[in-house]
Amino acid sequence: MSKTDNNGAGSRENKKSLKQQIFVYRGFYIMFLPVLIYVLLIYYWPMLGVRYSFYSYKLRDIHWVGLDNFTKLFGEKEFWLAFKNTLEISIVKLLLNTFVAVIISIFLNEMVSMFCKKFVQTIIYLPHFMSYAVVAAIFTLFLSTSSTGFVNETLKSWGWISSSIDFLHSKTMWRPIFYLINLWKETGWGTVIFFATLSGINPELYEAASIDGATRLQKIRYVTFPALSNTIIIVLILNLAKVLNIFEPVFVLYNSRVLEVSDVVSTYVYRKTFLTAVPDYGYTTAVGLFKSLVGCVLMLASNVASKKVRGRGIL
Amino acid sequence: MAKEKVVVPGKKKKLTLFDYILYVVFAILSLIIIVPIWKVLIDSFNAVGVYKFQLWPSDPTFAGYLTIFSTAKLFRPFVNSVVTTIIGTLLGLVMSTLGGYVLNQYEMPGRNIISYFLLFTMIFSGGMIPEYLVMKRLGLVDNMWILVVKHGMNVYNLVLMKNFFEGIPGTLYEAAKLDGCTPMQIFYKIVLPLSKAALASIGLMFAVTIWNDYSTVQIYITNPTQVNFQYQLRVMIMDGDTPTTAYKVSQNTLYYASIVCAILPFMVAYPFLQDYFVQGVNVGAVKE
Repeated sequence: MSKTDNNGAGSRENKKSLKQQIFVYRGFYIMFLPVLIYVLLIYYWPMLGVRYSFYSYKLRDIHWVGLDNFTKLFGEKEFWLAFKNTLEISIVKLLLNTFVAVIISIFLNEMVSMFCKKFVQTIIYLPHFMSYAVVAAIFTLFLSTSSTGFVNETLKSWGWISSSIDFLHSKTMWRPIFYLINLWKETGWGTVIFFATLSGINPELYEAASIDGATRLQKIRYVTFPALSNTIIIVLILNLAKVLNIFEPVFVLYNSRVLEVSDVVSTYVYRKTFLTAVPDYGYTTAVGLFKSLVGCVLMLASNVASKKVRGRGIL
Repeated sequence: MAKEKVVVPGKKKKLTLFDYILYVVFAILSLIIIVPIWKVLIDSFNAVGVYKFQLWPSDPTFAGYLTIFSTAKLFRPFVNSVVTTIIGTLLGLVMSTLGGYVLNQYEMPGRNIISYFLLFTMIFSGGMIPEYLVMKRLGLVDNMWILVVKHGMNVYNLVLMKNFFEGIPGTLYEAAKLDGCTPMQIFYKIVLPLSKAALASIGLMFAVTIWNDYSTVQIYITNPTQVNFQYQLRVMIMDGDTPTTAYKVSQNTLYYASIVCAILPFMVAYPFLQDYFVQGVNVGAVKE
């Protein structure tokens, strides 16, 4: 956070003692009280709960088991599969979405007609405001194998396929479909941040390039793209910190038949807790703690990387 | 948004092949986004399920919508969604403005502690299960108010709000203080009226998050009277759990009508509020 002194509250009080200063600001402390209580209740209280990762917690029976949960966790094939899937799915999704968003921003920026540009922007931002549940519902209906399945019936009528493909239940098709659906939903919105950068490019750079006889593609290559590169890196860094958190996008589309290619850490925790007859909260808390710790390391690493790239952290 | 290029009158740029290719490419891109949405909309008015893409319903009906608004099983979740979204957004705005305002007092003793106290929650979290156990203690399992409580506090939005407040000139505070205003008076007499755009942007972010939340309901709620519309929609479509109804309505019509109801509020508001939506992202990304 940048430090500014625009509120002017301090200048005259600087010489006062700490006690007096606190008294001056008493109104602010009272205003912060509701936020403090709220944050303690919903963020800090659950943090205390991570102690259960050293306990066995089944129904009302809670007892200390030391590191047993972690030993079990590290030996669990299902967990490592989910861990591997999480990284693969999140990273491919991040790279794909960012790549396509950059391409769209660069070429949309070349549009001469201002009206068309605005129009396309308005359209491509739309899907972002639909929930994952809705998007999943739409595409499940479209991709269904029933007689009203939009995609299968259309492909059949064109003669491209002879029998319906059950896209969302096929181990080979699930991931590509998942990436495509996510592209449809989020790429448009992903361009917002790139447009902000593009609008900041000094027009003189383009004029200078024109005088030097640069073609439009050359201008894109030597002016637009370099201007975006910093933003691209920042977007990647910011999102890298969150790769392990993926839950809802996968949860709304995955199913038991494609678990092998779609199960991620969060869905694994969900299944082990809420779809098990007698869940061991201790074990699933341990999985969550492991995830949080790796996430924490990623976040701090991103922070360092961000400081290197743009001179300030993400925190 | 990108700056408008200055077009010198009488010297209109000639469109090249490149421009025509751009038009075609972006027309296709727009169609890729629009076609699914249009199909959902049209099929929601279509009495019979068809796989084909139609520009207009071949057999128009309102039965889908009438069913939603006359069947308790669907209407109740819809009302739950509306209520939790409104109250959650208001609570979220109260919390983020209060927090953002206090965080903006750089000379306040303990200001840095408060800042770390808030930022730590962005680095580390208890995780799904400890959170669940706490909410259970608070009596929020199987209770739709979980949506309000869970989203009423958002540190990221609080920091965004602080960034907006930083733009208010310090001299205004100074003047108000000389006039004998208390911090609370300055807050609602000066800061809030000057932050209408910020309130709109961040309020929209809260509203979208709460209205669209599905996973919280999936994790915390099983009681059918407490679920929200997103959840009910998914259960109906995925599990084929269609309610019995007085109207003759095909399953497809009802499904698509429900999808339209689930996206309608923001689709309608969006074209008018687009700038507010975009603003939130830009302030977050550019200033942080």
